[in-house]
Amino acid sequence: MKLFLIIFIIATVQIVFPQSAEKWKAKEISYQHKKMEKRRDYSFSGNSAGEVLSKSFINIYRIFFSDVDGDNCPFNPSCSQFFIESVEETNLFQGVLMFADRFTRDMNFVNRSGKYFIDDSGRYYDPPSLYTLK
Amino acid sequence: MKTYQILLFLFLTASAFPQNLNLHSLENKKKFADHLFCEKDYLRSILEYESILQSIQNDTIKFKIGLAYQRLDEYEKSINIFNSILPNAESEFYHSLFLMNDFNLFRIKVNNNKTDANPAVQKLYLFSYFFTDDALPDWQKFSETFSEERAVESFYEKKINPGYKSEITAAILSAIIPGAGKIYTEQYGDGITAFIATGLLAYLSYSNFNHDHDFRGWLFGGAAAIFYAGNIYGSAASAKIFNAGIKMNFENELRLFLNQNNYFMPEYNFCK
Repeated sequence: MKLFLIIFIIATVQIVFPQSAEKWKAKEISYQHKKMEKRRDYSFSGNSAGEVLSKSFINIYRIFFSDVDGDNCPFNPSCSQFFIESVEETNLFQGVLMFADRFTRDMNFVNRSGKYFIDDSGRYYDPPSLYTLK
Repeated sequence: MKTYQILLFLFLTASAFPQNLNLHSLENKKKFADHLFCEKDYLRSILEYESILQSIQNDTIKFKIGLAYQRLDEYEKSINIFNSILPNAESEFYHSLFLMNDFNLFRIKVNNNKTDANPAVQKLYLFSYFFTDDALPDWQKFSETFSEERAVESFYEKKINPGYKSEITAAILSAIIPGAGKIYTEQYGDGITAFIATGLLAYLSYSNFNHDHDFRGWLFGGAAAIFYAGNIYGSAASAKIFNAGIKMNFENELRLFLNQNNYFMPEYNFCK
């Protein structure tokens, strides 16, 4: 009887312990930047011709230029993402103008730090909604 | 025997004393609610005050509930409570109405109820004009109402001459000289960058056309045109952002002044 009891306890521990160990073991922390994971969206979600056209240009730019250049844009959203969001919020023509203006601001290295809010990724927060003239 | 006597004595004493201490008496509930209110635990103080109101009707208790709701930014609830004890809570009723930021409704209510005798409400009434685009009343009315004249005079002048930049002027300036509109809106770095970028692309286009490189000429010319147009658009947007910044700073100054002056409301000594 004693032997049966001991075997039962050992068997129970063997079955239950791995499950609880899985539950309580330390989780692996990912130090990868969350914003970077979201930045690249190559899908064509837009319905209008303008959105599809602009997304095509952006995808070409991203694959052949931006990905080669690296993750250097000091702004959030990045210039290419800014262009996509601008076209989505307004139209292709206004989106191009907003993008050209953003690109000029991106080239300016003087006095940027006090002008924009800095988000949690350390980038200048500069959404297109500020520039829609609405 | 003596031990039993002592134990019996202690037992009787312990049973007798707590019966005199009624923690749920109205007086103790009020003390506890006041304590919670003064500790800024407004939500629980409201619960305690409301439990008192189930036993007795008291305007001071209702007033404190209204104040607690007001400090929790629950203005509609506080207005309803202050409304039930008007005219005693007139100042705080209008204070809550003012805090809702619907200044037109606030002014309509003040005009309908004729609250000329209440100086705090009159001050809030005039101050509400600083938050809206409606025409300001004469300065004489302000100077008659406010004792804090110097600060209010500064707000009055800022409201009349806020120093806004015209979006159209910014766009026209950038159309004449690329970047000038940005400089007009005090974005000097952006203005100079726009001037250099547009100028450089235009020069490259001109130079390539001159050397019969038509494709490159059109390429740089197109890029220059996009940057030129983008800068005109961006200058107008920059003026709009500049004006929004001025408006935000002005409203922040107003809020700070109102907070420092407790919205012209009397000081209550509930927590002293």
